[in-house]
Formats: sequence, C-alpha cells, structure tokens
Amino acid sequence: MTGLQHLRPASDTLLRAEHLEVEFSVGRGQVVHAVSDVSLDLVRGETLGLVGESGCGKSTTGRALMQLPAPTRGRVMFDGHELTELTGAALRAVRPRLQMIFQDPISSLNPRRRIGSIVAEGLDIWKRGTAAERNAKVDEVLDAVGLDPETVRNRKPHQFSGGQCQRISIARAVITEPEVIVCDEPVSALDVSVQAQILNLLEDMKARYGLTLVFIAHDLAVVKHVSDRVMVMYLGKVCEVGSPDALYAAPRHPYTAALLTSIPVPDASVRPGDHPVLTGELPSPIKPPSGCRFRTRCPRAEERCALEEPELVPVSITHRGDDGAADDGDQADHYVACHFPLS
Amino acid sequence: MTAPSATVRPELHADGPLLDVADLHTTFSTAAGTLHAVGGVSLQLARGQTLGIVGESGSGKTILTRSIMGLLPADAKVSGSVRFNGRETVDASEADRRALWGPGIALVFQDPMTSLNPVMRVGTQVIEGMRVHLGLSRSEARTRAVALLRSVGIPEPQRRMRQYPHELSGGMRQRVMIAIALACDPLLLLADEPTTALDVTVQAQILDLLASVQRGRSMAMILVTHDLGVVAGRTDAVAVMYAGRIVEYAPTRTLFANVRMPYTEALLRSIPRLDQPSHARLAAIPSRAPTLIEPPPGCAFAPRCPYAQEQCRTETPVLRSDGDPDHTFACWFPVGAVSTRTNGASS
Repeated sequence: MTGLQHLRPASDTLLRAEHLEVEFSVGRGQVVHAVSDVSLDLVRGETLGLVGESGCGKSTTGRALMQLPAPTRGRVMFDGHELTELTGAALRAVRPRLQMIFQDPISSLNPRRRIGSIVAEGLDIWKRGTAAERNAKVDEVLDAVGLDPETVRNRKPHQFSGGQCQRISIARAVITEPEVIVCDEPVSALDVSVQAQILNLLEDMKARYGLTLVFIAHDLAVVKHVSDRVMVMYLGKVCEVGSPDALYAAPRHPYTAALLTSIPVPDASVRPGDHPVLTGELPSPIKPPSGCRFRTRCPRAEERCALEEPELVPVSITHRGDDGAADDGDQADHYVACHFPLS
Repeated sequence: MTAPSATVRPELHADGPLLDVADLHTTFSTAAGTLHAVGGVSLQLARGQTLGIVGESGSGKTILTRSIMGLLPADAKVSGSVRFNGRETVDASEADRRALWGPGIALVFQDPMTSLNPVMRVGTQVIEGMRVHLGLSRSEARTRAVALLRSVGIPEPQRRMRQYPHELSGGMRQRVMIAIALACDPLLLLADEPTTALDVTVQAQILDLLASVQRGRSMAMILVTHDLGVVAGRTDAVAVMYAGRIVEYAPTRTLFANVRMPYTEALLRSIPRLDQPSHARLAAIPSRAPTLIEPPPGCAFAPRCPYAQEQCRTETPVLRSDGDPDHTFACWFPVGAVSTRTNGASS
C-alpha cells in the first residue's frame, strides 16, 4: 500500500483518485502493471505536475482519471460523482467537464477537417446554443489562444506549425468550459522558444477559464514552472509528492535526486559528471521488483527495501531537524515513499 | 572501460585543423523555390576538440552535419569547401567519400529506434563497418565488437550480439549506435541529437559515455542539439545556428558568460530553469522561425528581435567580432552588457 496521507480532505478537492491500478494484459497470462496504487487529488484551481521518465505510468494515470480507459481497480471521484461507477450516458454527461490535450499537436487534429469544425465539435455534439452562438464561441476561444479567427477558421491542420496546432488543441479543450484539463506532455514536441509561448498560454487560459490542470511531462524544469504541486513517479508508483519549491530544493527520494542531477544546466560553469547518474535499466513492469520498485537502481537500497514497500509519509515525520523539534502547524506540503530518505 | 585500440587510422595530416568548413552552402530545389538549408557556414575543429551546434527545428544543423559527411539526398546542391584532414571532400567521388566514412568520420543518428536495421542482429550491424573498412575477418570483427559493446556499457555483450534491436531499450540501442560509430575508430564523430529521444537520466549516461570515449581516443566531436543545457558543460566551443547560418560562435565559457547575439539571449531566457520559482513568466520569443525558401534580405532574426532596427531589415549581418577575436556574432546591434552570470567566466 502506498498510502493516502498526502491527500487533502475529500470535501476540499475537485478531483480525487484513490488506489488507482491499471493493468494491461500482454498475452500468455502476463500482465503489465502500468499503474500500481496511485492516489492523487486536485483542489480547484490547482495544477498538479506528474513527472517521471518513460514507462513510469504518468500518462496512463492521466488517462485513468479521464476513464480512457477506466482503471483496473481504484476509484476516481469528480465533484461528487464517482466516475469509476458511471457508465454510458451518465459518464458522457460528465465528459465535457474533463478535457485533454495531447503530446503531438499535429497528429491529434483530424487532418481532413477545418479548424473551425475541429474546435466547434464539443459544442456541436452537445448542441449548445444556436449555430450563431456556437460560431461566436469558436471565435472567442481562437482569439483567446492567440489565433486570428478570420484567417484560421477555414484552414486545415497541415497549414499550421506545431506550436499553432497546440494552440488549436487548447482552444478545442477549453470550448466546452471544462473544469479539469489533463495535459499530456503538451510541450515536449515543441522547440524551446515555442514551448515558452505555450506554457505562458496555458497559465493565461488557467486564469481566464478558472481551470484545474493535471500537467504530465518528463521535463522537471517545465513541471516546476507550471505546477502548484508535483508528483514524481517511477515504474507505476509515486515516489514523492510536494510543493515544487520544497521538492526541488530538497528532494528526499533518491530517484527524484537522480532525476534532478541529470538535467543539463544551460550554464557553462556547471560541469556535469561530478555526481553519479543512475545506472542500470528500468525493470520490467511485468515483474516489478518487490518492496520498493526503485531498489534495483538505488544507491541507498538495503535489505528492508526488498521486503517492505515504503509508504508515502510526510517528510517532517521521517526527518526532523537536528534539535528534534517539529514545527507543528507549519508542516511543509512534502511526502516521500522511501525507507531511507535523503536529508 | 577501455575501448579496443585502432587498427587502421588514416594518416593524420600534420598541420591545419582536422575539419575546416568554409562558406558552405546547401540548397534544395523545391516546387516553391530554392530552399537554402545551409547558407554560408564556416567553422573549424581541431583534433580532440568538441564543438556544439545549437539550433531549433529548421535551423539547418542536421543538414550541415550531413553536408560535412557528404550524406545528402541526390537533389541537394552543395557549394563551398569542406576540408577534412587536409583533403577537400565537397567534390570528392562517391568512392572516396565512402572510404572516409568509418575510420574518418562517423555519425550517431538522433533516433535509435529507427536507425538500426530491425531485421538484422545487433552483432551483424556492429561488425559490418569493420569488415568493410578495416578488412577484418568475421571472427576478428566479432571479438572486437564484443569488446566495443562492453566499452559502451552494454552488459552481457555476447548475448546482445545475437539479439535484434527491438529486444533492446532506447538507451541500449543508442549505445549500439555509438558502438557502430566507434567501430572503425573515427577521427571525427558527428553526434546529431544523440540524446533527444532518450529520458533525462539515460541522456546523462550517454553524454558521459561520449565524453569518456572521446577522451580515451582524442577524437574530435560535433555535438548537434537543440538543448543549450547539453552543450554548456560538454563542449569546447559552441556555434548557434538560426535559419541556416551561424549567428554566434565562441568558446563555450565565453558564450555563456557574455552572450552577444539577441537570438542566443532570447533562447537562453525562454528555457524554464530549475532555479526559478514556479509560475514565473517565461520570456517567450514571439512568432516563429522564417521560411528558408527565398529568404528576404536582412537579418533572419529581425522580425522576432526586440532590438531590431531599420538596418537589420535591409542588410544581412555577417559574423564579426569586437575585442575578442574568438567570439563572433552576426548582429548589427549586439547585446552589449556583460551577463550577470559572471561565474561562467571564472571558477
């Protein structure tokens, strides 16, 4: 059990997932454990950054929240609805309130349709308002994402660059006035100069439409930039959760620390290679290691790590200051799942 | 990790740089007009040195490395000069160029997923170059290949030799690509975005590996990347490319300590950094890079540049220096102030 201590009171949260597990069958009776006992929550207006390397289950977690597909086990609560219990029309009725933005901006837009109809689709499906009202709404959101509605509306996706297509994807996502948007690597296909434009745009959209975001990315610097809370994942498990400032300043999980030291810094005075990087390969998610899943690559691993799975616990309890005094009431938002956390 | 030593290495030309590129142009004819992928690039690289080439998509960095290697599609037109180890290669015959590959210049491609032949065993692909270029027997080449794979950090190399690429992870495949490139002990290694497709911890492993093999062999390397962070700690000099040209060229520490070209400055500012607080507004570069088909006169960066003036839109700036002759930039109105990151020059 990874634990639920990092969750806030259910009454405060807009979206809450408990003990999510996603498994995929790969034949011969074998099962990929893509997401194993992940719990998370979002307060309204918050951005949760989900970060980790390929195969850590961050995208699968994002999709499980959206019920695309529904998790194998566990439950997802959204504004009083238990999404994991809803089916058919009841689930469809909730869907406009949850939207998604994908990694590859060009292939996630239908190449044969015009931008106006791509963006309007959510409204058309729900037959919201008259045709004229829908058109006005399309113009409004295109304008909001920084595109000129007049010139853009009748073009097709291939006439736009990656950054512009991502703006169109954002327009399509916000048009149904969703409360939650899951952004799955929304900037990793873009050049840095364009990436900065889109990150700024997402912040603007969040303020303008009062959005709550799940921001999935592999780039820790990007995640720090947009997030109010960051969750680090490794091989289907949560390693560490916390406010970005606390977590980046003093990572407690050895994996988070390794990730942070691996990032190349655009500064010639910082010489890489002074610190050991991770060695070895990601273990198979079909037979994940017992106990702590990171132990096979962890420099601090001991016998206990193989026998007992670490639970997410508040950092101040596992690591108190030298004087032993707990700063009660002022506990930092920082949780780690490690038997031997860094101090 | 010691790599197998060279058996056949081309005679080293005594004087002059290992690589000397002068006014290199590469153009393609397209239906819309002539595309100037590389528009007059000059650079030099000494033995054992590392040059970083930084640019965004479409800046011409990949076509530049392909032009240096002579590995371009048939419709490409190359003019200018590429002297490698004292010999002109731009107008060399196909056979002469092939002879250069392997022991002379080797290339590590960006995408390890698609650059290996999926229906050939890893071992066969590693020994191919050694059989062709070094004339080794099958068993000699196999012995060397096992040592090579071990030297690039692949565990159980004997077993890996018999596997197919799909049985290996992305990081392992990139190690295989590097082993193939190193097989004939090249004088110059071109690494075209060698880590872009990889996770950040794997990227660190691969960059460390490239640095260690380079030191061990005093091999020259060109590291092509879009990531200023990757070149910052691992190169001797950096060339920043924009719209097919080098717009700033300097020793790495000088460049990061004292940026002169507004594009380089804007690029550095648009990168989210770990030392900034969250929700800090990023300094995005407005709009996007220009098309390379029949580019208008003037500086290509002018439409996006905060300092652009009338002269920038009419006259194309060429690389020049003021003061430090090693630090050149193509800008009429360079960034003057010394950067606040003064520790870049000291320490």
